[in-house]
Amino acid sequence: MPAGRSGPAAQSARRPPLLLPLLLLCVLGAPRAGSGAHMAVISPQDPTLLIGSSLQATCSVHGDPPGATAEGLYWTLNGRRLAPELSRVLNTSTLALALANLNGSRQQSGDNLVCHARDGSILAGSCLYVGLPPEKPFNISCWSKNMKDLTCRWTPGAHGETFLHTNYSLKYKLRWYGQDNTCEEYHTVGPHSCHIPKDLALFTPYEIWVEATNRLGSARSDVLTLDILDVVTTDPPPDVHVSRVGGLEDQLSVRWVSPPALKDFLFQAKYQIRYRVEDSVDWKVVDDVSNQTSCRLAGLKPGTVYFVQVRCNPFGIYGSKKAGIWSEWSHPTAASTPRSERPGPGGGACEPRGGEPSSGPVRRELKQFLGWLKKHAYCSNLSFRLYDQWRAWMQKTHKTRNQDEGILPSGRRGTTRAFT
Amino acid sequence: MSRREGSLEDPQADSSISPLPHLEAKIRQTHSLARLLTKYAEQLLQEYVQHQGDPFGRPGFSPPRLPVAGLSAPAPGHAGLPAPERLRLDAAALTALPPLLDVVRRRQAELNPRAPRLLLRLEEAARQARALGAAVEAVLAALGADETRGPRPEPAVVATNAAAAAPDAGVFPAKVLGLRVCGLYREWVSRTEGDLGQLVPGGPA
Repeated sequence: MPAGRSGPAAQSARRPPLLLPLLLLCVLGAPRAGSGAHMAVISPQDPTLLIGSSLQATCSVHGDPPGATAEGLYWTLNGRRLAPELSRVLNTSTLALALANLNGSRQQSGDNLVCHARDGSILAGSCLYVGLPPEKPFNISCWSKNMKDLTCRWTPGAHGETFLHTNYSLKYKLRWYGQDNTCEEYHTVGPHSCHIPKDLALFTPYEIWVEATNRLGSARSDVLTLDILDVVTTDPPPDVHVSRVGGLEDQLSVRWVSPPALKDFLFQAKYQIRYRVEDSVDWKVVDDVSNQTSCRLAGLKPGTVYFVQVRCNPFGIYGSKKAGIWSEWSHPTAASTPRSERPGPGGGACEPRGGEPSSGPVRRELKQFLGWLKKHAYCSNLSFRLYDQWRAWMQKTHKTRNQDEGILPSGRRGTTRAFT
Repeated sequence: MSRREGSLEDPQADSSISPLPHLEAKIRQTHSLARLLTKYAEQLLQEYVQHQGDPFGRPGFSPPRLPVAGLSAPAPGHAGLPAPERLRLDAAALTALPPLLDVVRRRQAELNPRAPRLLLRLEEAARQARALGAAVEAVLAALGADETRGPRPEPAVVATNAAAAAPDAGVFPAKVLGLRVCGLYREWVSRTEGDLGQLVPGGPA
């Protein structure tokens, strides 16, 4: 039996527009007096049925000369001739058909049930719509781009397969007042999505739901209640630049700009960086990049091309307590670490730019040491920047020494000079 | 213009005016358009039968070729008519096609709402038929042969007169009708291509 909120299954197709009948004066099903051609009528015309149900149909012949007979008539369904035992002659001009346990319609325009004369010519046709009523849509999720619009996505019930054309309508209204509105721009981010482009209020909850309707019934999703400010996302950060950090072969510096559309509101924006080696599909994600527009990736492989992307979560806009929605990733930006003969460590984490507190244990200890030196040894010029310069100098001298001694990357001596 | 069918030569024309190059260009251009639209019409037919389901599109499927009010297929004797008369019939058919294609599109929008390419092709076919019809009429005007021969019923008027009297139609007849209209569109565009091809200088006389 049909599920959903509507009544029993519909038994006929929707009525066609009035203009169409002009052209149908002479098409199948309309008797033509004096033509000499037999015509017929199939009943029922265009029925709608549940999967697994049965159908009793008749093909009644009429025409010129009178006394047209049902003998020799046969049925086809979607071009396939039906077994004779499914048919029986009711009277001289009527052939009946009994179909049981119907399968879902093969095409949305309906299965073609055709009554043929003995010579194979088509006498009449009827289209069967066999399917299921829609089930409740679920899993509605919505997001607002820069607080200007709202896009929602949902999952159709019963995995969407009703075998009938099912219409989905996204509805929304302000929770405390206002009338129901219907979204009009569908399929914007997939087959079950809709976009509301404008006229949305902030600081007040909306109720959003989806109604599914087909020939066999309708169903409505649960209502989702949300405030636009709680589902804000934004564009990916623009102007992402990745560059080397001097001669440091295991670091790259990443800089970006706060998304301009929300730049006046992003007091607590979060960012994420992900990066991967050029010929790898595995991304490494750096999570704890909060509210800053630069970061240094450390522990990278020397002489390696890296692709880097950044995304933004504009959480906390106008005091919203919700988690916020991540933007799309920015377009990949590539850069390579300087080449080195010493193998790099391979791993990585986001480190602050020079002069800022370190997150790694080595650099933390170094910071403490430098702080102690400044205090007790009067080394006022000491800083992380100086430390990085020293590292770059160390690498350079190490390379030069290796070149002079003819040492190859594998450690074997030879006469080839290694150039970076 | 010479009475010889398929020829543009007129030995009595004033050579100082020489509209011939312009006319030839017009004919070539219209012929190219007709050739392109013939290809599109074939694609439309393929797309159409695909969405109606079997047996539409199967070899041997032949519902009765019942006449569509306001338009019939090119007559068997069409090719034997003088060129201007053939082109007039082509233009008349191309004028009658757009409202028929519109009706088919509207019905298909109900039957196959998730077939955007089919619906787009039907919409484009109506525009293309209008464009080709106008181009053929321009050729006729350039040939000085564009006078109408007796009253021709306006397709829209015919549609309006018959709409109230005709019975509501089922889905299967609507599918067959659409097939018929798409078939007529292909036939007439192809026929127009052939008729213009005979006028193209250097083409078959």
